[in-house]
Order: sequence, then structure tokens, then C-alpha cells
Amino acid sequence: MSAMETGRGTSGARVAIHDATLRDGQHAVRHQLAAEQMRAYAQAADRAGVPVVEVGHGNGLGASSLQIGRARLTDDAMLAAVREALTSSQMGVFMAPGWGTGKDLRNAVDHGADVVRIAAHCTEAAVTERHLGLARDLGVEAQAVLLMSHMVGPGRLAEQCARMVGFGAQAVGIMDSAGHYLPTDVTERIRAIAAAVDVPVIFHGHNNLSLAVANSVAAVEAGATIIDACARGFGAGAGNTQLEALVAVLDRMGHRTGIDLRALLAAADIAHEQLLDELPAIDSVSLISGLTGVFSGFKLPVLAAATAAGLDPLDIFAELGRRQAVAGQEDLIAVVVRDLTVRAQ
Amino acid sequence: MSPEVAHTTGSQAHQRPARLKAAVIGAGMLGIDLAHRISASSSLTCSLVVGGRNSVTGLRVAAEMGCATSTSGMDAVADADVDVVFDASNASAHPSHWADLASTGVLLLDLTPSSGGTMVAPTVNGHLAESGRHLSLVSCGGQAVLPVLDVVARHCGPKALQYIEVVTTAASASVGRASRLNLDEYIAITQYAVQKLTRDSLAMGGAVKVLANLSPALPAPAFRAEVAVVVSGVDLDALRADLEAATVAVRAFARGYEVVSCRVDGDMVRVTVAVAAEGGQWLPAYAGNVEIINAAAVLMAERHAAARKT
Repeated sequence: MSAMETGRGTSGARVAIHDATLRDGQHAVRHQLAAEQMRAYAQAADRAGVPVVEVGHGNGLGASSLQIGRARLTDDAMLAAVREALTSSQMGVFMAPGWGTGKDLRNAVDHGADVVRIAAHCTEAAVTERHLGLARDLGVEAQAVLLMSHMVGPGRLAEQCARMVGFGAQAVGIMDSAGHYLPTDVTERIRAIAAAVDVPVIFHGHNNLSLAVANSVAAVEAGATIIDACARGFGAGAGNTQLEALVAVLDRMGHRTGIDLRALLAAADIAHEQLLDELPAIDSVSLISGLTGVFSGFKLPVLAAATAAGLDPLDIFAELGRRQAVAGQEDLIAVVVRDLTVRAQ
Repeated sequence: MSPEVAHTTGSQAHQRPARLKAAVIGAGMLGIDLAHRISASSSLTCSLVVGGRNSVTGLRVAAEMGCATSTSGMDAVADADVDVVFDASNASAHPSHWADLASTGVLLLDLTPSSGGTMVAPTVNGHLAESGRHLSLVSCGGQAVLPVLDVVARHCGPKALQYIEVVTTAASASVGRASRLNLDEYIAITQYAVQKLTRDSLAMGGAVKVLANLSPALPAPAFRAEVAVVVSGVDLDALRADLEAATVAVRAFARGYEVVSCRVDGDMVRVTVAVAAEGGQWLPAYAGNVEIINAAAVLMAERHAAARKT
């Protein structure tokens, strides 16, 4: 890192980067990553000193399905491939109760998962109680995140996060699953959460409004100390917070991530060459999906449905937003398409 | 509801038919709605609602309806000398409830997602209620999709179904703490019931997968279930006609039940079910999940009562 001229600031917070490339990135390639792709990226991230490398189907353990998309590999195959590639990085997994179960969680821990993320939609913290308890019993780091967090305000999120701490979460936070936030939205939410809990606070950004890095910086300044990001922003639609850009920005600001930027750039190049079909871009559809507050992972299924039905995908997103569709409700796309088709006739 | 209504066997009341005495375990949304439905039944009377220490509100509502209430668990149930017990507590508590009741003549209906009882869905195998003593209502999602899968299975024939997937979405406000703690059991028992019901139609190695969503959307959306079956060579018109008949049968006891669509999508049949609550004054319309399992449970108890009399 010393070779890079960075012009550091002095704020100096320690920020733990949680690399979701091999989990959330899966949405961009319909969950089709192969073992050798995963292994290549995991090795490179490990070399760069990335603290946690998360792996799995885009919606986490047990989520491979017709509804959300079938993964190329089983959870077993993904976990085994990444585990053997890591020497110092911890292996992370993501599990949303209702998509995965305690059985999937135990299996992941048997495969050597070190960090377990239990996820729930923004008002549904109560569903994490059982599995946070299980993760603690299994002796792994138990974290908890609220999905689709833009749907409720700071007070509610803080209250839900405090409940998850009560269930045993050792870090809590929010995901901007739709890429809807402005930096001020993030600031007030993270501040409220940080004031309500005494564990590290997590932020996970999406880039639909071109604000993922800015929102992550706002989160750090408001007290978040665990930030999710993906190499090249690999992720659904407009993509996630771009990992290497975030680390460079945090470095310039004087925050410490412990990551070797040059090695991280090499990892990002590997992601670019070996994982991505195309670079994430803020096209019209992704922009509208962010504005309407719809889960970014709906992009590919919406495009497919729009083409089949001869509809404008922007209209489908607007209607999904009006119905407040949440991640996991991909079946609503067909319902909306049918209703829009009937309306058009 | 007069609590002194006569016990079923022996003295037959002249003005009204004798009713079976029922107890409800659980005073959450499910338990209180059950108490309402039991009170409205012509063959059951709600003698007791048992709740935990956190069920103050539910127990107050039950008391206002004229039901005796208690926080003394199965001791209170034993003292009440009932004929039927509806268990709307927690999957982990259910086995001990059955252990307490197995040697008595009581009918136990399980509304928690625990395995053990005979799994019933009224329009699929409701006759089992007549002789059964320990009946499982599977799950709200199970009650919504089993009628559909029964039709698809019969329609497609032996070993035809390659894969079955069920996704249910319930409104956040319709799902209480016990259900949230029991999500793993909800998935497991719904998968098990689908497997068991479609046994002859499922191909070798054909898997069943269940996913469950809770939606924070406001206003709260009605309960939904999406069924996808990988199968080839379906006669869609004939299937739709059979589904229509099955829907009519379910609507006889759960009026808000609706098959929204049935379509072929590549090598898949997809059926969308929506369930609104229309049968009680007490339940909000979105809580179709509560209505369908409760209406099914009360119907099964009524069927059991009728069989006892004859």
C-alpha cells in the first residue's frame, strides 16, 4: 500500500470490509458461478487481506429455487470451493429464514463458515431470533441485517436492530436492497442504529442512483464499521458498492481497512475477467428500480417477463414499487405483467 | 355463547343440538380467531382458551366472548373436561400436548407445524377426520396449496412430477411470534405434506421445495401461494376445469380462497393462489393464512363431531 500515493485524511476509523462478490454478485449472472471462478476470486481476495469473503446463492443458503433462480452449484460445492481457497480471510454466509433453514446453516458451519449473516425484511427482525441463537450455539460470528431497509424510518430500524442484538447478534445493520438511499437517508439511519446498539453496525449499498460509495462513506461517518462491497460492483442491476473504489476512498480518508489496495485491484481484475458477463451499469431499468424502491435482483426476471409480454420494463418496475414487492416475491412479477397486459387491452 | 351448554353425550338439549366442548391452546391471533369460529359453530362450543403469560390481550378478548380463560396450560385443559382441543401454541410444545391427551378420548387438532398427527386438508382427505384422534392441519401454506397439488397430481398421473416448489407470502401483521420461531418447521412440514400427498405422482428423485416470505408492505397484502410444478404434457384447459372445481370446494369453508391464475411456462405449470379472510368479523382481510387453517380445523372438528353422533 505504501507504494500508492493516497493523500490520507486523519479520521482514522477501523472499517471491516465484508466482500459479498461471490454471493450478491451471483444475481448478475443468474447464480451461475462455477467452482473454478469462485476459487480464483476467493484466492485473490484472500491475498489482498479482505477480512470476510461471503459465498452462496444470491439470496443465500437454501435459496436456489425456480422462484429466485437455480444456482449452478449446490451450497455444498460453493462452500467447499471457497473454503479451500481461503487461508487468512474468514468465510461468510448469508441466510434469510424462510429461504434457508437451520439445517442449511449447520451445513455451512460444518463446511467451515466463520461469519453467519441472518437476514430479515426491515420489519421482520423477529424471524432472526431462532437462527441467531443457533449461530451463537454453533460458535460462529453471528451478524444480522435488515433487507429492503428503505421501506421504514430510522427509529423503526434502530428498534429492530436492538431486538436482533437481544437475540444474540454480534453486529447488526441495514441493506439498501433497492439502491434507493441518498447519503442523508443513510446518515440518519446509521446514526439511529449506532445509538441504539453496542455492537458494530453494518451497511450494504446498491448503486442504482450512483451513490453506493457515497452512501457507504456516509455510513462510516455516521458510525458504521462493517461495510459490504463487491469487486467491480458485481451485483444485480446497477451493481453493489464497488469494493476497490470504496477501499481507495476510505484509504484517502484515513480509515483503515487492512486491505492491500494493489492486491485488491488484482482481485478486482480477476473478477472483471472471470466472473462478470458485463460491467454493472446504471441503465434506465436499474435507475427506475432504485427510484421505485424495488429489489435490484428483480432486474433480470423483469426484463425477461417484459420481453415475453411485450411490455415496457419501466412500467413493470413502477407497478412492483407501488405494490411494495420485497426480495423473494419474484412471483409478483408475473401477476403484475398479467394485470398490466389486461389494462393495456 | 352460554358456557353451560350441555356435554354432548347423555342429555340432549331440546332447543339446539348438543355440542362438543372445545379448548383452544394459544391466545394469539390464531387462537382468538379459533375461539370466534368455534363459538359460531353449531356443533362446537368454546369452553376454554389457554394462553401464556404474554397473552393478556388475547385472553381478555376470549373472556369478553364468554370463554373461560386460563394461564395454567394443560392442567386447565384437563380440568375443563373437553372433547376437542385445538393446539395453536408452538411446534416445540405440541408433542407434550399429545402425550397428555393420547390416552383420553379427546380429539386433538394441531395447528402448529409439528409432525405426528394425521395430516388433513378438508377437500383432499377430510374423511380422515371422522375416525382420527390426532389431526395435523399441516400449515396455512399447506392448506392453501394441497388442494391445488392434489388436482395437479391426479391430472398428471404416476411419476410425472419432476419437481414441486411452493412459495408463500404472508403479511407481516398476520404472523405471530410462535410462527416466526417455527419457520423451519413450517417449511419442513409443508414439504413433508406435499411429498406425502403427491407420493404416487412424484418422479423418482423428484424434490419438493418450500419457501416462505413475510411482507412488510402496507396496506398489508392478502396471503399468497405460488405453486410451480415441473411436468410435461399438461392439458391446460382440463387442468383449469379441475382446479375450478377444487376451488369451489375450498370456498365452501374459506370464502376468500381464489386460484388467481394457472398457466404453462416452459416445462412448468404455475398456479397462483390468493387467500383473503372473509369468513369472520374479527380477522383483517389480509389474514387469509389464519382464516384458511382455522376454518379447515373447525370444519374437521365438526366432521368428527358429526361422525361421533352417528
